[in-house]
Amino acid sequence: MKAALIGAGQIARQHLACLKTLPGVDLAGICDLSPATAEAAADRYSIPAWFIDHRAMLETVRPDVVHVTTPPTSHFGLALDSVTAGAHVIVEKPVTPTFQEVKTLIGRAQTADRHVVEDHNYLFNHAPQEILRRIRSGEFGAVTHVEVLICLDILGPGGFADPNSPHPALKLAGGAIADFLPHLASLAHMFVGPHRTASTVWTKRKSSPLPYDEFRAVVDAERGTASLGFSASSQPDAFWLRVYGENMQATTNLFETRLTFDGPRDVPKPLRPFFSGLEEGKTIRRAAVSTLLRKFKGPGAYEGLWELLARTYRALADGSALPITGSDVLEVNRMIEALRPQEQLP
Amino acid sequence: MRALVTGANGFLGRHVVDALLARGVKVRAMVRPAAQLEGLDWPSSVEIFRADLRTTRDLCSAFEGVDVLLHLAAVVSGGEDAQFAGTVAGTERLLEAMADTTCQRLVLCSTFSVYNYSAISRTLNEGSPIHQTPDLYDRDGYTISKWWQERVTRRFATKYGWDVTVLRPGFIWGRDHGYLAALGQQFGRHHLVIGPLTRMPMTHVDNCADVFALAAIDGRARGQTLNVVDGPGERIWRYLSDYMHGSGNHGWRVPVPYWLAVMVVRLGFATVFRTATKVPSILVPPRFESRLKPLRFENRKLRETLGWTPPFDYQQCLARTYGPTVPTVARHLYRAELVNPNETR
Repeated sequence: MKAALIGAGQIARQHLACLKTLPGVDLAGICDLSPATAEAAADRYSIPAWFIDHRAMLETVRPDVVHVTTPPTSHFGLALDSVTAGAHVIVEKPVTPTFQEVKTLIGRAQTADRHVVEDHNYLFNHAPQEILRRIRSGEFGAVTHVEVLICLDILGPGGFADPNSPHPALKLAGGAIADFLPHLASLAHMFVGPHRTASTVWTKRKSSPLPYDEFRAVVDAERGTASLGFSASSQPDAFWLRVYGENMQATTNLFETRLTFDGPRDVPKPLRPFFSGLEEGKTIRRAAVSTLLRKFKGPGAYEGLWELLARTYRALADGSALPITGSDVLEVNRMIEALRPQEQLP
Repeated sequence: MRALVTGANGFLGRHVVDALLARGVKVRAMVRPAAQLEGLDWPSSVEIFRADLRTTRDLCSAFEGVDVLLHLAAVVSGGEDAQFAGTVAGTERLLEAMADTTCQRLVLCSTFSVYNYSAISRTLNEGSPIHQTPDLYDRDGYTISKWWQERVTRRFATKYGWDVTVLRPGFIWGRDHGYLAALGQQFGRHHLVIGPLTRMPMTHVDNCADVFALAAIDGRARGQTLNVVDGPGERIWRYLSDYMHGSGNHGWRVPVPYWLAVMVVRLGFATVFRTATKVPSILVPPRFESRLKPLRFENRKLRETLGWTPPFDYQQCLARTYGPTVPTVARHLYRAELVNPNETR
């Protein structure tokens, strides 16, 4: 299967590194507005052709799959051109800045019998997949509520809050936090399904170029409720996911490898917290070691992206169901639309 | 003559501005939009052009009336991709703008890091091999981006027939920049000194800036690639001692022979870290060698081409780094007067 990438920046490296490991995938072309950036990526990942014009690449390479890894405001046009050229597209999150564009893109892809996959990478990290496995086995019980909270310092001068060069994500409604909404919404959607209503609080605690630096939401969904949040001020950096089931509760930090379950035990009820604490401590110690080792090998916190890409290419090759369907992309983005701020602060 | 200096408020850039002024060159200083310029004490004759090479649309106007570009800007922090975008893509945008102007001359600040230390056995000079791809990508983000920046610049120069001078400084040191990567590995206040008798390729920022100013105005520099070091370099042990004394950062110095350290690093890499993605630089053999390999360094070509000798010797450089601040006026005049008012030459 012939793959090509548009956008050779930071996240593209993860896509390229993963694609080099996938059997049956031929990296055939890469495109970037900067000739040196495109050429260097082609050089590094042994890609035979590089381009600075994506249409020229689509016409010359005729890829089966195009990865769109550019800043979000350019996704729509590039993905649409790729679908029109007959390729499936894997688009970095957020797939497009507006829900209307998502609907248009998915519609055009369906008409052309092509697929649009948005990178909901954290769904495919080990921890959410393990929680999902226990839910499906019945051990966990029905999910009643899910909490997702990202604590990440995005106020430093080198990234989203760069005072010299406005970050492309600041053009999104909600600013830099909007760049993280797909993570929050996709995890909520995975555990409690499509949303019915949502109420949000968008605030700004610190002076910075960002329109907002704190976000909270409560979502009522078809199979339960969700509380979602983003904090640029709370430290240390963490990506907390807590899933509450009728039999068990799960807690994980997706920036690390820790995953703990608390559920029924075959001990007298007053002793349950004691044994739960012992086991949780043991699990966290083991996870501390594996988090350290993970820094030395493999994709680290991007493990979910690698898994998503592997599953996607397998599904495209054998015609089975994709891990992220067009319907998933639509539902997640419908939730995101409900989470967006009503007005952008100056 | 008017010079456009990118990265003008950086560590080297601010000294290059001073050195150009001292040689009577008019300066247009390109700085980032949010750069704080207080404390630089530039005279009012220095024109300020605020731009970010990654995003500013109009870079052409920066070249209005400019005879020579001194391109020093580079992103030296952040991840590899941020460095590449800032340094390489930024250079592309700058040089594309220059191609639409009458400016035909540029001096690029490259680095010793582009040399392939692993392939050099005794003396490193301008004829020594530089990295080749794909081995280049085993190096750190700074090296990769500077290597590509030099390649991109040479391509533009060839395409448009520009006169280009590539200057490759060794470790640049000076006030508030006394600690060098070549000193080994720091653990809090203490230092593991790898190869304590190794001499470092080093240039004091005032000497280095003088070379840049000279290269900008001296026709003999055109078309040349020149390494910039003050001389054979100080031994690590002595320099570290001077650094600790001058900066007041006291701690232990533990010497380790280079051959032993490199053996341990190679063994660790071969057995454990080869497939690792996030290993400290010092544990990757090519990066280890580029910081610490004991080689001979010389500035013969620089001396022969431009007739340059460092304005300041090592003792004077120590005084300028750790002693009282040299007044701005004196900084600007030292070349014109051929005397540093604060020091005996």
